[in-house]
Amino acid sequence: MLKKICALGLAVALAGTAACSGSSGGGGSRDTLVVYTGQAGDFQLNFNPYSPTQIEGIGTIYESLFFFNIAKDQPPKPLLGTEFKWNADGTELAVTLRDNVTWADGEKFTAEDVKFTLDMVAKTPAINRTGFKGVTTAVDDTHVTIKFPEPSYMDGPQVLGQLWIMPEHIWKNYATPATEVNQSPVGTGPFQLGDFKAQSFTLKSNPKYWGGEPALKQVRYLSLSGNQAGVDALKAGSIDWQTGPIPDIKDIEKNYPGYKAITLPLNQVALFSCSNAQLGCQGAQTDPAVRKAIYYGMNRTQINSLAFQNVNSEMSPGFTLQPRDSALLSNKLTDRMAPMDANTAKSDQILTSAGYAKGADGIYAKDGKPLALTVKVVAGWTDYITTLETLSQQLLKVGIKITPQQLSWNEWADARGRGQYELLIDSVEQGPAPDPYYTYSYFFSTATTAPVGQPANPNFARFSNPIVDNALVELKKTDRGNPARQPHYDAIQVELEKYMPYIPVLTGGIPSEYNDKAFTGWPSKDDLYAFPAVWKRPDASQVYLKLKPAGN
Amino acid sequence: MGYYLRKLAFYLTALWAAVTLNFVIPRMLPGNPVDILMAKLQQRGGSVDPAARTAYETLLGTGGKESFATEYLAYLGNLLRGELGVSVSAFPAKVSDVIGDALPWTVVLVGLATLISFLLGVGLGAVVGWKRGTWLDSLVPATTVLSAVPYFWLALILVAALSSGLGWFPLNGGYDVVLDPGWDPEFIGSAIYHGTLPALTIVISSIGGWLLGMRNMMVSAMSEDYVLTARAKGLTDSRIMVRYAARNAVLPSVAGFAISLGFVVSGSIVTEQVFSYPGIGSKLLQAVQNNDYALMQGIFLVITIAVLGANLVVDLLYGLIDARTRDRSTVS
Repeated sequence: MLKKICALGLAVALAGTAACSGSSGGGGSRDTLVVYTGQAGDFQLNFNPYSPTQIEGIGTIYESLFFFNIAKDQPPKPLLGTEFKWNADGTELAVTLRDNVTWADGEKFTAEDVKFTLDMVAKTPAINRTGFKGVTTAVDDTHVTIKFPEPSYMDGPQVLGQLWIMPEHIWKNYATPATEVNQSPVGTGPFQLGDFKAQSFTLKSNPKYWGGEPALKQVRYLSLSGNQAGVDALKAGSIDWQTGPIPDIKDIEKNYPGYKAITLPLNQVALFSCSNAQLGCQGAQTDPAVRKAIYYGMNRTQINSLAFQNVNSEMSPGFTLQPRDSALLSNKLTDRMAPMDANTAKSDQILTSAGYAKGADGIYAKDGKPLALTVKVVAGWTDYITTLETLSQQLLKVGIKITPQQLSWNEWADARGRGQYELLIDSVEQGPAPDPYYTYSYFFSTATTAPVGQPANPNFARFSNPIVDNALVELKKTDRGNPARQPHYDAIQVELEKYMPYIPVLTGGIPSEYNDKAFTGWPSKDDLYAFPAVWKRPDASQVYLKLKPAGN
Repeated sequence: MGYYLRKLAFYLTALWAAVTLNFVIPRMLPGNPVDILMAKLQQRGGSVDPAARTAYETLLGTGGKESFATEYLAYLGNLLRGELGVSVSAFPAKVSDVIGDALPWTVVLVGLATLISFLLGVGLGAVVGWKRGTWLDSLVPATTVLSAVPYFWLALILVAALSSGLGWFPLNGGYDVVLDPGWDPEFIGSAIYHGTLPALTIVISSIGGWLLGMRNMMVSAMSEDYVLTARAKGLTDSRIMVRYAARNAVLPSVAGFAISLGFVVSGSIVTEQVFSYPGIGSKLLQAVQNNDYALMQGIFLVITIAVLGANLVVDLLYGLIDARTRDRSTVS
């Protein structure tokens, strides 16, 4: 079937050749990379990098000042900016800009463009996704300073790495930047929009890119009907890069000749508990002893093999992302890493000393109430469902009964936001820089939670702890890399281990599969220059920049 | 004239009730568009920054809590002006554009499939009814079994056999992705090629109903006096079958067909899901999954109007064809 379509495509459009030469397993040299970002259904034209429904452009067409690599703790890579420096109290940021940059339409890039972009973000709440409140001044063509109302070291990666610089001479004409679809994007980045169709579009290399034209001449984005179609396309060799699980990923080189896989830890899978009775949570999980008993009763080795094909990895109860944050891992933790095997004796001891007693059915109870909890999970998230089924067997041995409850995504997200759950399974995510500060400030701060019944985002566990809040305030005042930060990291990690509002399961790996035969230069465990997920922006653009057609 | 006024008043009331339900039902869904958008973006490595949520609330206009009544009045006002609003799931596209893009695919695919199924079913039904008692009778259980099989299962089996196994048809999609949509023979050919298997599944699964209904009406029409008279006059068999028996027997089927045309717009969600077809059904699913109220309302409105419109046409036609339905006093 594929051959037939390809023959048709060849006859009609030159562009067709790209998708088709893939079916030969990447024989010979080719300069078009075919990617599948998980787009199901038609692409809706939208190249506004500030729109939540944008389909492409971040990093590829539009660049930020610097690139922050969340996969590895390393200094930010200069893009449109070449240098940045904070003043002594962290309220003013001075940025030096690159001199020899032009927009794709030939206009020169200057500090005015940066000022225009930052001002646009600051005064348009609908696109201000980072809560940016700075005031920008263009000192001369290549220097800007940004003044903040308070010490804002931690906003640096947001401003420098997550704000995409737009051309003033085009965007000043747009009255409502939030709803602009930006049909013909003009950027400074290594790529430009090629042709656009509802089911596929291309980016082509920018011959005038300040860093030199990329070796990769074209990137084609496909829309398929879903994950299964992605696996099928991989099998047929019609896509070169996708991110997502495939069956039997360990034997990828045998099952999908020419392809390789990389799995990188990113999201920390945890049982979220509605932990705070003061904010209205109800159920046995509001008792930290119950949460710790679950933590110790878990056989993570078994869960990893039954639910995750052994691609997940150990997790620290202090929620630093390991191994990336190994330097920040506190030695004040009782367990530096969550034990991989169950320790039912420890669970028994914790529950007994908290006043629970085993009933005739082998389930612990307190005040006549058996220790039974429901765990909400999204129907169709099979790895998490398997995790919970395995876990419910493991916890029965401890004397805790958990019942998985499958819900539609909407229903589940609603319950999570409003705190109307006992336990649920989800993952704790990372911020814009390789620093657990962001995870802590999102998921563990009193500022990001709300009473049960009102939507909290994203401190769903309703965790509120003065020591953690205080440490976050202190961290915000100290620049990254300063050793004075470590005591605060230690304090947070110890509190998280003590109260465990999110019960650690495993660090979830994000698997990506790529065509190693037709292209070289992919990120590897030894050279993690960007997070290797095709949908991770702007990281994907860094990968496109490094890729070279094999055989050249 | 009173008959038509009564009918129109009834349909206007029904339309208002339907439009109101369209407003109420989507709002009973759990969740809200912003949280679902956030969850979606997080799955693809998006930011979980609380500031991002605030920005999206502002963007989608769901931040301020307006009262139910205000929203309802604004909704009715917008409908009267033909404003369907902006789709959240395809932001910032207009609902009317989203529906406009999707509707032709569904109307052509399901419309043609329904028409083919009707013509084939009625034609075969007439022949089977005429030749009752012969081996042709076995067509009745054969086709009704196919109708009774759950549609998605039948469709998946056909995909497995004809697309995956034999490779005769494409697996999914509405057209070949390397083509530009337009009125050139290449694209239309590709659209027909992609639409054949979905259409085939619809025909196979719905033909049984038409066939059975037509056959039974045919059998009862054949025992009518006018058929006997026609025989006595010595007319040819084929003339009696077509002009006397089938012409009368087909009346209920025509009414059924008109109504099923109304359901063309809505009755294709499963088909479009199985084949990833770019029609209205897949848009409805997308709207429901994203709590996209405006798009749901728009699609429900189109469905409502299609069904009510088809019913209205049937009612009016019946008034014309059959005087008994028009005036209560003439009922014997």
